[in-house]
Amino acid sequence: MPIHEESLIRPENLRKHEELNIDNVDVSGHWSTFIETRSVADYNENLEREISAFPGGAYIHRCWQCGACTNSCTVNAINPDFNPRYWIYLARLGMEQELLRDKEIIWQCVSCHRCTHVCPRDVEPEGVMKALSHWLEAKGHTPKSQSQHFDEEFYQQILETGKIEEGRIVRNFFNRTGQPLKQPWLIRMVKNLIRGLPIMLMFKMGLSTLFRPKTKDWSKSKHSIEELIEMRELERKKILEGNEAS
Amino acid sequence: MSQSVLVVGGGPAGLSAAKSLASIGQNVTLVEKEEILGGAPILSGYAKLVPSGEWASEAIGRMVRSAENSKSIKVHTSTKVTELTGEPGNFSTKLSNGTEVSVSSVILATGFTHFDSVNKPEWGFGSHPDVVTTTQVEQMISSGKGVHCPSDGRKPDRVAILLCVGSRDRQIGREWCSKICCTVSANLAMEIREELPKCSVYIYYMDIRTFGLYEGQYYWRSQEEFKVKYIKARIAEVTFDGKRVLLKGEDTLVKRPISIPFDLVVHAIGMDPNIENQDISRVFGVELEPHGFIQRAPAYDSIAGTSRAGVYVAGAAVGPETIDDSIAQGQAAAMAALGMATNAA
Repeated sequence: MPIHEESLIRPENLRKHEELNIDNVDVSGHWSTFIETRSVADYNENLEREISAFPGGAYIHRCWQCGACTNSCTVNAINPDFNPRYWIYLARLGMEQELLRDKEIIWQCVSCHRCTHVCPRDVEPEGVMKALSHWLEAKGHTPKSQSQHFDEEFYQQILETGKIEEGRIVRNFFNRTGQPLKQPWLIRMVKNLIRGLPIMLMFKMGLSTLFRPKTKDWSKSKHSIEELIEMRELERKKILEGNEAS
Repeated sequence: MSQSVLVVGGGPAGLSAAKSLASIGQNVTLVEKEEILGGAPILSGYAKLVPSGEWASEAIGRMVRSAENSKSIKVHTSTKVTELTGEPGNFSTKLSNGTEVSVSSVILATGFTHFDSVNKPEWGFGSHPDVVTTTQVEQMISSGKGVHCPSDGRKPDRVAILLCVGSRDRQIGREWCSKICCTVSANLAMEIREELPKCSVYIYYMDIRTFGLYEGQYYWRSQEEFKVKYIKARIAEVTFDGKRVLLKGEDTLVKRPISIPFDLVVHAIGMDPNIENQDISRVFGVELEPHGFIQRAPAYDSIAGTSRAGVYVAGAAVGPETIDDSIAQGQAAAMAALGMATNAA
């Protein structure tokens, strides 16, 4: 249909014609701009289940769309397009394409937890935002975020040895994310550290770097944690592929 | 107490009033225009009732049997009241079967009429067989046939329930909320999901009015346990795409048009004033309120009163009402009738 309130329409939905003739009527000019017909033609029945399979998303089904989360949101105050209430609605109904439109801003949640404190239905919207981000990554809609790389490196080390070795985490994190190790702030920090000549600390750090000591009796714990993780990931995989036995 | 009390209507309200009066030995004349007692839950074949979850045939059936077996209740089925004369405490009434009865008071439990969906042609009822009403789905369940598409008998994969059909609609002169349809629809949605776990059920609403305790029991239970989806949209039109019924509307929470196929579309029909209320008003000399229901006397100053002394009212005759509240109002009207009978004696 012809329109003139162009500013209200998303640019990708505008259809303009230099010259247009409809049924022998010349409508070139002002009346030749149209909106692309678009409508919801299907729901992804599985979407709510998918999101709730990620940590933090378990209570998404409770939402009644009051908007308290969006009203209290720190990020929304800066960017009105950042709207947790809206995304929860899309996720619950299965409007996946509409949700993906905002994939570039969903991950911007700063985890201030104000939404979770005001939510009258205990939806825990902050958790939902995490779940949404992880869902975007798991489905391949967005590349892994830096924090996701960091988390993975962190828990993999714990899984291997029961401990973390900061030097290794930083090195591997920079390596995974393609950042140079020689970062000005890091060099400054190490210089400051060395200035105090912490001989014992440096000795311990060197030792852990070379020998990677493990927590005592770690293999048992490692085994059961691995089992648990494997189980959870298998469950999630089934849900994401829609093969869940219902 | 030799004089009888006239109870008009054999649904939940009328049965409850009759039973209450009979329980203390008051004679009752129960008049029902249909061939059997039970009112809408029996005549329209409701399935499981809100909030008890009991089958209507069992729960209301017990009330019917209790009235039929009572020595104090004289039942006239297939009968209407044609005349009411006299004074409060000493009325005389004529029935269409020729009987004349002297009664101390009258209880109107004349109920409602289901909205006829044909009056909303844009929603496809009557033009496509797979557009049905909540009453029809109740019948599918209560008859044991199960939920199916009337066009070819297949089990639906997707069902849409449209709320406020015949309610809250100025276009067709029905501005009232029918009060029970939200809860009934949530209940029905759960029954559909229970019978057909693979079938998705969507409820299109303007507001959800599962009032009071129904909030948890129906609105949230249907979402959390039964995964029923609620979409805030009033459907603009229901058409047919050659294969399935097509819903068109706008999801108002995302400002986006909807155009979605469904196997079965269910109208959550509202409660109209009893279609015979003009006659009832004339015969019993009671006024109607502006929507066409029976006018109730001010609640603070009367028990179950109407505009005419000695004529009482209970249940959906005064406006959309739940079954449980109709039963309670029947008991209140019985109290009023008993007071009149005692004073007249």
